[in-house]
Amino acid sequence: MCGSLCRPENREAFKRDEEGYMSRFELNESEKNLIRARDFAGLIHAGLNIYWMLKLGSVTGNSLYRMGAQMRGESYEQFLATRNFKDAV
Amino acid sequence: MPSRIVGGIGLSHVPSVGVAYDRGKLQTPAWKPLADAYVPVRAWLEKLKPDVAIVVYNDHGADFMLEKYPTFAIGAADSYAIADEGFGTRPLPPVRGDAEFSFHLVESLIEDEFDLTVCQEMGVEHGFLVPMNLCFEHGPQGWPVASVPLQVNVIQHPLPTGPRCFKLGQALRNAVSSYDKDLRVVVLGTGGMSHQLQGKRFGFMSEKFDQMFLDELERNPEKLAAMSHHELMEQAGAEAVELIMWHVMRGALSPQAKRVHRHYYAPMTTGMGLITFQEPQAI
Repeated sequence: MCGSLCRPENREAFKRDEEGYMSRFELNESEKNLIRARDFAGLIHAGLNIYWMLKLGSVTGNSLYRMGAQMRGESYEQFLATRNFKDAV
Repeated sequence: MPSRIVGGIGLSHVPSVGVAYDRGKLQTPAWKPLADAYVPVRAWLEKLKPDVAIVVYNDHGADFMLEKYPTFAIGAADSYAIADEGFGTRPLPPVRGDAEFSFHLVESLIEDEFDLTVCQEMGVEHGFLVPMNLCFEHGPQGWPVASVPLQVNVIQHPLPTGPRCFKLGQALRNAVSSYDKDLRVVVLGTGGMSHQLQGKRFGFMSEKFDQMFLDELERNPEKLAAMSHHELMEQAGAEAVELIMWHVMRGALSPQAKRVHRHYYAPMTTGMGLITFQEPQAI
């Protein structure tokens, strides 16, 4: 499913109707729940490749750094405070 | 005179550089240290006058999907499309290829027992394009060099070993020097340096490791290439394993190649390295 998000019309379809879009693919309920919850640590744990997760981030408004902060168990601001030069985003 | 490799470049391909490039932000304080490092590199490349850039990179799920992901793949087309990797297509002209040269490389590499996937159609993404943006200025009509994209699997284990990548570089050198047209070739090894993008260790970097890697790449490249993936990932982060692509570039250079530039900048989550090498009598 994440790979399909490399097409703009599919990104639009996902944003329009996330549940309907997910139902086109062979996702099980726990995978769908991880997507619904935007549980990025859980998705990685379930075997999603980070580069495919970035495509999911793109349609859900979650940048790499936001996903990263969540995986670290920090707020976005807390995470940025750990960086050498946080404007290079 | 046959073709020859005139130089090699090791450099990171961080996607945010492409975004900063497209938004005209490379001169802002956050990006200027990186942008400045490439000013002398582009001046050097202008003197080096390469006809072709062989770009060793990995696809991040733009043109190759995990259902069928090649260990090594090479472009053999006269043009490569700009691929959409999930964030839209960047406003860049298609990349100029050289199918005839590519097919010569393919024949020579396969003869040398490197059985790559041959792609007569290929879309390129940040792994390829960020290094191109940093090293070459494109105009509305296209790019100043032709390119050969050489894709390496560094994202879905099992990955090719470091020594295998180094040997691919050596085979690439044989392939270039047996082409009977007089082409000047640079090889770009892209990716890394230290970074981890998944799990609790997200954001991990190690400047100490990265500086060691740059030192050893210059002095003991074959020994460096023998480092296991496990060791590399433990010391520099899971995604730092991309650095095995630098071994392809280094393996393609002669023992007489001399280091010219070196730079390091690590503002956010990736150690961005840059190192260049020049072959004797290249300029």
